[in-house]
Amino acid sequence: MAIYKKNKDGLAAAGFLTPTLIIFGTFILFPVFFSFYLSFQEWNAFSWEGSFVGLDNYTRMIQTKEFWDVLKNTLIYTIGTVPLNMIVSLMIAYGLNQKLKGKKFLRTLFFAPVVVSPVAAALIWRWLYDPNFGLINYSLGFAGIDPINWLNDPSAAMFALIGMGVWKTFGTNMVLFAAGLNAIPDSYYEAATIDGAGAWSKFWNITIPLLSPTTFFIMVMSMIGSFQVFDIVYVLTSGGPLGSTKVLVFYIYEYAFKFTGEMGYASAVSYTLFALLFILTMVQVKYMKNKALA
Amino acid sequence: MKNKIISIFIITIIALTVISCSKSENNSDGKVVVTFWHGMMASSVPALEQLIQKFEETHPGIKINAQTIPNGDAGIQKLMTSLQSGTAPDVSWIYSDYMEDLVTSNSIYKMRQFIDGKNGLTKEDLADIYPSLITYASWRGELYSIPMEATNLALLYNKDLFRQAGLDPNHPPKDWDELLDFSRKLTIDKNNDGKFEQVGFFIPVFPATGSRNGWMVWQYRPFLWQAGGDFIEKDQSKVTYDSEAGIKALTLWQKLFQEQKLETFTSDFDMAFISKQLAMAMDGPWSLPRYKDLMKGIDWAFAPLPAGPAKQATIVGGEYLCIFKQSEHPDEAWEFVKWIASPEAQAQWCMTSGYLPIRRSVKEIPAFKKYLEENANYKVFVDQMDVGQAELSIDYGAMQITQHIGEAIEGVTIGKRDVRTSLNNSAKKSNDLLIRARK
Repeated sequence: MAIYKKNKDGLAAAGFLTPTLIIFGTFILFPVFFSFYLSFQEWNAFSWEGSFVGLDNYTRMIQTKEFWDVLKNTLIYTIGTVPLNMIVSLMIAYGLNQKLKGKKFLRTLFFAPVVVSPVAAALIWRWLYDPNFGLINYSLGFAGIDPINWLNDPSAAMFALIGMGVWKTFGTNMVLFAAGLNAIPDSYYEAATIDGAGAWSKFWNITIPLLSPTTFFIMVMSMIGSFQVFDIVYVLTSGGPLGSTKVLVFYIYEYAFKFTGEMGYASAVSYTLFALLFILTMVQVKYMKNKALA
Repeated sequence: MKNKIISIFIITIIALTVISCSKSENNSDGKVVVTFWHGMMASSVPALEQLIQKFEETHPGIKINAQTIPNGDAGIQKLMTSLQSGTAPDVSWIYSDYMEDLVTSNSIYKMRQFIDGKNGLTKEDLADIYPSLITYASWRGELYSIPMEATNLALLYNKDLFRQAGLDPNHPPKDWDELLDFSRKLTIDKNNDGKFEQVGFFIPVFPATGSRNGWMVWQYRPFLWQAGGDFIEKDQSKVTYDSEAGIKALTLWQKLFQEQKLETFTSDFDMAFISKQLAMAMDGPWSLPRYKDLMKGIDWAFAPLPAGPAKQATIVGGEYLCIFKQSEHPDEAWEFVKWIASPEAQAQWCMTSGYLPIRRSVKEIPAFKKYLEENANYKVFVDQMDVGQAELSIDYGAMQITQHIGEAIEGVTIGKRDVRTSLNNSAKKSNDLLIRARK
């Protein structure tokens, strides 16, 4: 504190930081610690009263079959979206990196799904997926495929969700990949052309390895994002049919806001999600470190 | 200079936003303003405005500020957040399942306080109200709200489609056997492509985890009662919807759903009915005002719900008015609530909105009697009030138990699972919840 008093700049800095620190403290820091505290309570969010129950919430979570089903659904969603998302966004970023007319327009177009409201988008996607009148089944009809009951068939609903999920989020990854691609010096490609390398060889031996910091970042962020998916699930399938698309955050939402008195349980599940993501991210970081040293 | 203009512009926008967000003034022209929140359908709002106008004419010192809030789950969430931020209204229109949160958070007045006060209600007044509504308006035996209107569920059917199928248009199905039989006759594949262009009877199935689960389960309840069963023991020790009666009721739904291949049918039953693709459905009196315009060209009518093996029954619903403790004008709020419950106001409200009266003496009012004679469909609903049943309000975990029931319904229809197993699984989850609640 003495430093601030002596240094006028320091005081100004503290002044500028204070508003953000207050907001950060109230809306992010406090809830993070408070919900950790709540995970050991049985808590009614509306009457603001609860009772200490120790590890009960956690043991109940482990013993509930629904929790494991929900975790499985979330894993399926992640495995379905992350690789697909990365491949699609890389391909488009690579394509847009070539000399192309209307690059800026196309880039904006591909980024648009990211900023569109998930509710508006879901309403349109619901129509696209309609078993009788939807465009998707209509197009499949030309390929001779029978109409699929996308949103009402438990085995199809997850695919429907993955489709919309990738569409909604590949734009961000495309922009990140585009930045990463730009960072690769042209001289590498020129040297490879002189040595007689073909397009695929250049892609596989120059582009991919030099993109790996970007790829790693995108993979971690996509994975975290897909574990936390909620908005499109809520509007597209509401966790149905038969709970086949009920993902972890939807489960947490139910217990936190739909059912009374279960805020403690919801907090316990939230912290489990946090622990899970933390471990997964650490594993990926370790793997990358090892690869870099190898 | 450019920077100055931009910053003035930004400051003006911020200032306007802040001003428009602040709480509006409570007194206009020296009148007391009572804020009234409701989640009514847009088609009912004109009738509500007429009602409020009548109240303001007869109560010159009070002005009602009516605001629309979302319906269903979103409604209770909005009420609870407004309570937390101190911006709750004076009076709100609520469903009975909102009561648990509002009572346990100590936000609404017990009605006894006003009923026994100087501007109260007599014993005759209270006895005049249908008992099922008093049950709904209470929580653990204590009255926390006053009914504003009643609803129940009846059978909507298309007389033209009946004629085309060789059925008597003035003989709607009177029991479950006829319901199954008529649905089969009315489900038609016109061009033999394996898809039904016309379906007989709509069974509402929505995701149990979604926002329409409550509506689906609400429509299922009369079927369980008609089979002679109920949802939970009176002492709330365990659920009873997995009884033999439950199996009968859910099997009927499963049969109707699967025979008519409803999983590929639209979930907008009213659009399907208007486009003549649906012959029968269930609906309530709130739709009467909008059907007058929407259903031109269709010979439609309402009939009582078909009776089950044990008895005839329908489910009574309704909305209730509660007064918030945060209100600065509880006496004026009570004046409004009391007036709405009076027979004269009820008569006007019911004749214009299509809702059902909360009390029997409304039938004595001459204008209302005439209205009943002229509106046969509306009379069906009013007569059903005598066989209407109220759901037992569940003290703990009502929302979750409703979801368990929804899961069973979804499981046997879309999931094609066995009825007995599904009901047992759901009942086990509900009973575990009740055991945890008692600890």
